[in-house]
Amino acid sequence: MIKVKNIYKSFDGETILKNVSTQFDPGITNLIIGRSGSGKTVLVKSILGLYEIDKGEIWYGDINLTRMPEKDRKKMRSEIGMVFQGGALFDSLSVEANVRFPLDMFTNKTPKEKQERVEFCLDHVNIEPIAYKLSPSEISGGMQKRVAIARAIALNPKYLFCDEPNSGLDPETSTVIDQLIQNLTKEFNMTTIINTHDMNSVIEIGEFVLFISKGEVAWEGTNKEILHTENKKLNDFIFANKLYAQLKKEGENK
Amino acid sequence: MKFFFHVGQYFYMLKKVFSKPEKHKMYIRQLFHEIDSLGVNSIWLVIIISVFIGGIMVIQFAYSMANPLYPNTLVGLGTRDTLILEFSSTMMALILAGKIGSNITSEIGTMRVTEQIDSLEIMGVNSASYLILPKIIAVVLIFPFLYIISVFFGLLGGLITGPIAGVITAADYIAGIQWLFYPYYVTFSIIKTLFFGFLVASVPAYFGYHVQGGALDVGKASTLAVVNTNVLILLFDLILTQLLLT
Ligand SMILES: Nc1ncnc2c1ncn2[C@@H]1O[C@H](COP(=O)(O)OP(=O)(O)OP(=O)(O)O)[C@@H](O)[C@H]1O
Ligand SMILES: [Mg+2]
Repeated sequence: MIKVKNIYKSFDGETILKNVSTQFDPGITNLIIGRSGSGKTVLVKSILGLYEIDKGEIWYGDINLTRMPEKDRKKMRSEIGMVFQGGALFDSLSVEANVRFPLDMFTNKTPKEKQERVEFCLDHVNIEPIAYKLSPSEISGGMQKRVAIARAIALNPKYLFCDEPNSGLDPETSTVIDQLIQNLTKEFNMTTIINTHDMNSVIEIGEFVLFISKGEVAWEGTNKEILHTENKKLNDFIFANKLYAQLKKEGENK
Repeated sequence: MKFFFHVGQYFYMLKKVFSKPEKHKMYIRQLFHEIDSLGVNSIWLVIIISVFIGGIMVIQFAYSMANPLYPNTLVGLGTRDTLILEFSSTMMALILAGKIGSNITSEIGTMRVTEQIDSLEIMGVNSASYLILPKIIAVVLIFPFLYIISVFFGLLGGLITGPIAGVITAADYIAGIQWLFYPYYVTFSIIKTLFFGFLVASVPAYFGYHVQGGALDVGKASTLAVVNTNVLILLFDLILTQLLLT
């Protein structure tokens, strides 16, 4: 569980996050949505401790990240997996070596144990052994995302962060990735936080949805509630997409 | 103002680079990889350039000293001292700054703009140290060897070209390159190559590590890195020559 309490963050005098408070529970997919520039990435990077917040508290379970010295934060990071927008695979390493990297860096497992773990993770994201020795540039964008997910779960993290995992993917592949993240979240009972623009994902896997507008929490709820909300800002955001405008109308007529 | 900002940021980066590594085994693996990719791959370039420059210098020295009052041995001596003092150290460093430097900037810069560096940081890896330290050590280690290879093949280039071009006999040339030889010149140049090696790895690494934007910016950073490294090499050449040789 991650708890965010009244956090503020500004850059050069400009306040980006204003009094953000919320809670992300384990075992469900938590989505952060909002317009471009609303502060989603800043919020995630603040939660990760990559940005120093100005005010407020961030709790990972019963550990207060805000009070933690940098050294302990480093240790804490081994409990965090992150999937970047572009995948961010190390392009000098093969698919298999990418997933092995965190194991090499942070564990004292034997080569055999590491190999087993690598295969376990890659198998979980449906990567066939035939692709193990390929380099990231030799596989498709969807596969890169899956390998990135495999690398993120290699150390068995309690917390999984995904920054726009669907950007650049076709709708069908996006659904596959969404499902995959949701399944892994349930299987390993992770606290998963996903940053997204994608209304499909909101409907599919939005077990908890946090809507950020101009750095403030404007709405929170579930994907079931989102189509029936009266919140003006949220409606503007959702109905920028014609398809969902249609869905909402149909919902109201019933 | 901007200059001081960059100098400050450069030294801040170096501080991170030289902090305690997470896992030695991983660093050593990287080190061997870098020695291979940055150093061993440069050997052919060094050999080819040195052979040609050695040959060209012999011909030029022979023409400019065509006066019968000068002993023939001067041609060998001139070629040798130019190679040992300036060409194989400074000129070679300038050339390698182009090859190795742009390679380092584009590799690290690409990792920056594709979030691979953020990815390392989130895992808890000191990215500056993991990516840059092995490169600095590798380049500083191989530069003296490349220097020696360059001197050797430069002299060899002269030995082959001189007699073929008919400007000097092999015997005169060999006598020349042994005449009035000061071993300190070699020591001095090797000290220079250590400094140059450090610059050729660390300055382009700085430019790559701090790239902002996309692929285009990585390209621009590479160019800037090479130009700045070259200027610094010349500046250090001047300073070190003044300090160590006079
Ligand atoms: N490192 C930084 N320094 C200064 N300003 C920043 C920094 N990072 C973000 N900002 C500003 O904070 C605001 C929110 O940016 P953020 O990246 O969080 O948006 P976002 O919601 O993630 O948008 P997108 O959906 O386009 O990724 C923007 O106005 C941006 O200019
Ligand atoms: Mg963003």
